[in-house]
Amino acid sequence: MGDPLARETEVFYPAFSELTINRLLLEKVLGYRAGGTPEVISRLIDEILPEVPSRTSVQCGFSILPIGAVSVSRETFTCDGVQFTTGPIIAKQLRASTTLALFVATIGSQVEQWARDLIDSGDAVKGYIADAAASEAVEQAADWLEKKVTERVRDRGWKLTNRYSPGYCDWSVAEQHKLFSLLPERFCGVELTPSSLMLPIKSVSGVIGLGPEVKRDPTVCSICDMKDCFRRQEEPAAT
Amino acid sequence: MATDNLLESLKRCIERGKVNCKSPHPPDMKGQDGADELTRKALDTGIPPQDVLSNALVLGMQHVGERFRNKEIFVPDVLMSAKAMSAAMEHLKPFFKSDALKHRGTIVMGTVLGDLHDIGKKIVSMVIEGAGWEVVDLGTDVSPEKFLTAVDQHPGCVIGLSALLTTTMINMETTIRHVKGKHPGIKIIVGGAPVTQEFANKIGADGYSPDPQGAVEFLNTRCLQN
Ligand code: B1M
Repeated sequence: MGDPLARETEVFYPAFSELTINRLLLEKVLGYRAGGTPEVISRLIDEILPEVPSRTSVQCGFSILPIGAVSVSRETFTCDGVQFTTGPIIAKQLRASTTLALFVATIGSQVEQWARDLIDSGDAVKGYIADAAASEAVEQAADWLEKKVTERVRDRGWKLTNRYSPGYCDWSVAEQHKLFSLLPERFCGVELTPSSLMLPIKSVSGVIGLGPEVKRDPTVCSICDMKDCFRRQEEPAAT
Repeated sequence: MATDNLLESLKRCIERGKVNCKSPHPPDMKGQDGADELTRKALDTGIPPQDVLSNALVLGMQHVGERFRNKEIFVPDVLMSAKAMSAAMEHLKPFFKSDALKHRGTIVMGTVLGDLHDIGKKIVSMVIEGAGWEVVDLGTDVSPEKFLTAVDQHPGCVIGLSALLTTTMINMETTIRHVKGKHPGIKIIVGGAPVTQEFANKIGADGYSPDPQGAVEFLNTRCLQN
């Protein structure tokens, strides 16, 4: 499926029901350990979650670069002549890639606005929970998109690296401009401000390495500075 | 209820996020008076507003900030406490208006130019308010000029800058230069996910905090005027 010598760009509009946001997950996102969430917070989550789907318009898309348009070196990678300086950590993970998929995912701006309105009207707890639900939703939209990329390249015998975003490790957020220069204008409805902020705010962008030799790195968290991140995966115990 | 008991109960309401008698949270305080009723009672009993503020509300919020820093509680818990605090503050407003009660000082808060992140700054603002400071929130995407205007309007204020991306936190430096150019003595504190102490030193900020409680500590130790 698809021609690896041509650029393959596709945008998807998954239904919110394709994402799996539930109370337990959100409790974890908010920082609580299983069983440790105050009753009132669980109840508020239950009140908020049903209101989220009608306020989201999930859009996500990828653009897989043609073979030959990509090269990766020790601290950089180049796509269609545009050079990105990711630093050694991310470049190492991308090194074995045959090509790369650039991606963007968003859930639109409505939940974010709703959260702000709730806070402004004095309901800060609800607003914060709604905002956290939105953040989780966009991460899940990106997870969903990864599955689409996986399906797209499976027949070629290709696998995927983890996804990497400008602003993580030593990859500067300012390189968002380079990334967006390689994508169609307002890709997935997302625009970039001069200060490299994506609008809607609840959006993510990045790159995924593709090829027969690439690997997902389960220990990738060990290279990140965000020691308190709830997504942090523990390193396997040293043997 | 004796004065000490009343203030102690009020402090507890703040710590636990018990807003008023009707609020079902926390379950073990169901049906009991909350910050709303106890503040009224305290004032009606003749406890000076300053004691209500300093010996119950501020102490309660301070404890909340410390527990948040120690990761014993999380943002939603802080916000529940802030809600209880604001119910109590409603009763103190008239005293602030009549000058019977004074804020510890004023801080002008804003997310810097180019950045639209709001929630983190709002949380910090609520905790600072809970520490007895007046907060003037300029919102997001605030230009250096707007900060300067606010300083002119609130002489003696402190400035609090927030940013969530490295591409926008550089505007903290521009803001500091702009404001300190005219008001060299003004104290400025910076914060937000990508900001570090090292960066704060580099751009000439007077303070940095990774969390709301640190901002309060900075204000209370470095910025009190009397
Ligand atoms: C005046 O004194 C003070 C004192 C203390 C002060 C203060 C002022 N201001 C704040 N504080 C402090 O007190 C507050 C209360 O505790 C705190 O305020 P915060 O605003 O930080 O806290 C909020 C209440 C809750 N915190 C948050 O909402 C942010 C949490 C983290 C995990 C995070 C999230 C959830 C998200 N993100 Co992203 N995100 C991260 C964050 C990492 C982290 N652990 O902080 C950060 C901010 N993100 C980052 C990045 C890079 C990005 N994110 C992106 C996207 C997202 C999501 C959409 C998935 C989601 C929501 C984002 C949002 N803003 O709504 C992208 C940008 C989005 C955009 N619109 O442009 C993207 C650029 C990634 C990409 N390429 O897609 C990093 C920025 C670093 C940098 N290099 O600039 C980041 C620090 C993660 C990292 N790499 O470590 C403190 O900072």
